[in-house]
Amino acid sequence: MTFWQLVLSELKAIVSDKAIAVTLFGGVLFYSVLYPLPYLHQVPTEQQLVVVDLDHSSLSRRLIRHADASPKISVIGQVGSITEAKTWIESGRAHGLLVIPEGFRRDLLLGKGVTLSYGGDASYFLIYSAVAEGLVTAGMDAGKQVQLLGMLAKGEAPEQAAQSLNSVKVNSVPAFNPSLGYTPYVVPGLFLLILHQTLLIGTGILGAGQWKARGYWSELSPLQLISGRISAFMLIYLFFSSFYVGFCFYWYQVSIQASLGLVALFLLPFLLATSVAGIALSCLFVRRDLPTQVLLLASMPIMFVSGFVWPLALIPEPLIWISQAIPAVPAIMGMLELNQMGASWSSIMPKWLQLWGLFAVFFLLALYGVSRRLKESR
Amino acid sequence: MTGLIALIKRELHALWRSPWQLALVSYIPILSILCLWWLFSAGLPRQLPVAIVDHDNSQLSRMLGRKLQANPVISPQSFVDLSSAVTAMKQAEVYGIIVFPYELKRDLVTGHSPTIDIRYNSQFLLVGKLLSSQIQMTLGAGLLEVAGGKLLLQGVPESKVSVNLSPVKSQTTALFNRNNNYVGFLVPPVLVALWQLLAMLIFSNSLSRELTCEGGLVPGTGVWSRVLAKVVLFTPILLMHGGFILALLYLYLGLPAAGSLALLMLAQFVMLLAVWLLVLLVFFIMRDSARIVSFGTAMFAPAFAFMGITFPVHEMPLVAQWWRLIMPSSHYVDSHVSIISYGAPWQTIALQLTSYWVFLLIIPVLVLLSRRLERASPSCENIA
Repeated sequence: MTFWQLVLSELKAIVSDKAIAVTLFGGVLFYSVLYPLPYLHQVPTEQQLVVVDLDHSSLSRRLIRHADASPKISVIGQVGSITEAKTWIESGRAHGLLVIPEGFRRDLLLGKGVTLSYGGDASYFLIYSAVAEGLVTAGMDAGKQVQLLGMLAKGEAPEQAAQSLNSVKVNSVPAFNPSLGYTPYVVPGLFLLILHQTLLIGTGILGAGQWKARGYWSELSPLQLISGRISAFMLIYLFFSSFYVGFCFYWYQVSIQASLGLVALFLLPFLLATSVAGIALSCLFVRRDLPTQVLLLASMPIMFVSGFVWPLALIPEPLIWISQAIPAVPAIMGMLELNQMGASWSSIMPKWLQLWGLFAVFFLLALYGVSRRLKESR
Repeated sequence: MTGLIALIKRELHALWRSPWQLALVSYIPILSILCLWWLFSAGLPRQLPVAIVDHDNSQLSRMLGRKLQANPVISPQSFVDLSSAVTAMKQAEVYGIIVFPYELKRDLVTGHSPTIDIRYNSQFLLVGKLLSSQIQMTLGAGLLEVAGGKLLLQGVPESKVSVNLSPVKSQTTALFNRNNNYVGFLVPPVLVALWQLLAMLIFSNSLSRELTCEGGLVPGTGVWSRVLAKVVLFTPILLMHGGFILALLYLYLGLPAAGSLALLMLAQFVMLLAVWLLVLLVFFIMRDSARIVSFGTAMFAPAFAFMGITFPVHEMPLVAQWWRLIMPSSHYVDSHVSIISYGAPWQTIALQLTSYWVFLLIIPVLVLLSRRLERASPSCENIA
């Protein structure tokens, strides 16, 4: 059997196996739509807010209008007491509350300080931060207006007054994901993880189904089989990764910083290491339904330990050490640095070399595993 | 009744003989639950590295630096020039950059308004947003002190200074998760998603054993009594895992829980029944062990994203809101939040549980499909 005949029979085995074909072709397509689906609207806006206005003055009404004008908040109603506001939140009608104290306007005009109380439902992280951000800005605006009125009343020049209110400008700007969108935050890491997991499952099922039976694989040397299998999966994943990193990144408006050549160069050892790790793993199984199960349970821990959802600085060290043996972990962080944050090639070089190292280690493991499995079946 | 007991015994034997299934019901859940909790055990983001580039080197910029140092969330790292700070940010070594401009203090004193630039890494949305607000708050408080000093010099009485500076104070309260702890907010849904996956795997493995390799039914008693035996055996086992999650979080770690944990167990029980119905549907349609698991995986793997804890449900597109309803975990999470955060009584939970009614529509479909399975050929030639 020539090398290309081997690759062809591998491809045939992959396509004709329904479980593999569904996981690879169906899964990769299905997940590219399903995972980002909840986040398509990107940024939470117009969170429902209920107001408890105990002042009923012109100024309190103005404050409410200000809050309503904020893109993050929409005032859906007013109630008479905090308890009532809380029941609104508990029944899911509102997600935040604003309390304007009695005597709000009078105290301000008398030059006394007043305190506005805001509350947001912290059971939901993004809702809470949207409510808090929107209300803090509205409150600050109201405060500044009162201050300005006071200064003007004292006879200060309008320009001077405006300036002393904003003596230092604090200019806080997001970098790398300028829209603060949720899909550009989740998609780059998640899609690499999907490529990783489906590749491992595909190679896993293929191996697990073959070891106990005889077929074209029984006639080959372990080295031949491994190289043929890597080539076949690399051919398929060439298309899948182009689809994910190319089209899907474009479609979901993920910012892209690196050139195509560098991205391809970085993905090469990732895909090689993953496919050979899958072949090594497949030697542990003889039941075709097991690889999916094991890898499914590993997915969530891998996602969280790779550092794009939860900061690496907060993950216990031992978990980080162990995770370095998983190709997806250096690959996700390296790709984020290279392609989303525009790091130079030299700075992600260690991760690239680590992936080549993983390829070497898993290659040896695969060689050992496959030769044992092939011997058993002869 | 004796028939059922015999079938349960048969299930127990099968469980004992399958090392993987035994692992799935015993140590795998405990290990993965503990592992995921450990991952998030820091709870509150603390000491996140932020680059400070101080071009001013004045008393003022150093004072602001000390203020930032005092904030538990921020761990300031000094950088001499901007370009090295930018490189560090691109390599994810720091999550933000603060630049104190040249002559910051002089501009402030002479009545110009200088700008302090902050760049935060929003590729890591969670960290970026947190840092942005913490940095702005800390700098704001520091600058207010400076402005207060200025007012005192102008002869404003001390008692009036703070009112003059910020007449409207705000007090922000995080309702229901008071210290904004991520263990309280993120870990329960993550563990519920994991628990749902485990339930799916355990039940599909057990059902797959009833299939011949041609997709027919292994000879024996009718399919429904076997399914009943599995439900009777695996429901309590999985409820034990679910109970373990609740005990770990709310009893051992002492996270606040406003309502009753027994009610939560009831919600878990109903969620399990819904999971069983879905797995049965997949089982009767696919009738092949590898494909049942693949399909179940495709369905349940993204469950966490659809729960609406990280991203609000009402901001999801309509299709996503529908897809969300297919997953029992989303129904459960609503009850979970109601009980843990709002201390909802049983009446509210009972009302919420009615949201599962759509799952009842699966039952007649199952009956139709099971007839087809029982008619399918029981024979099995050789394994392909």
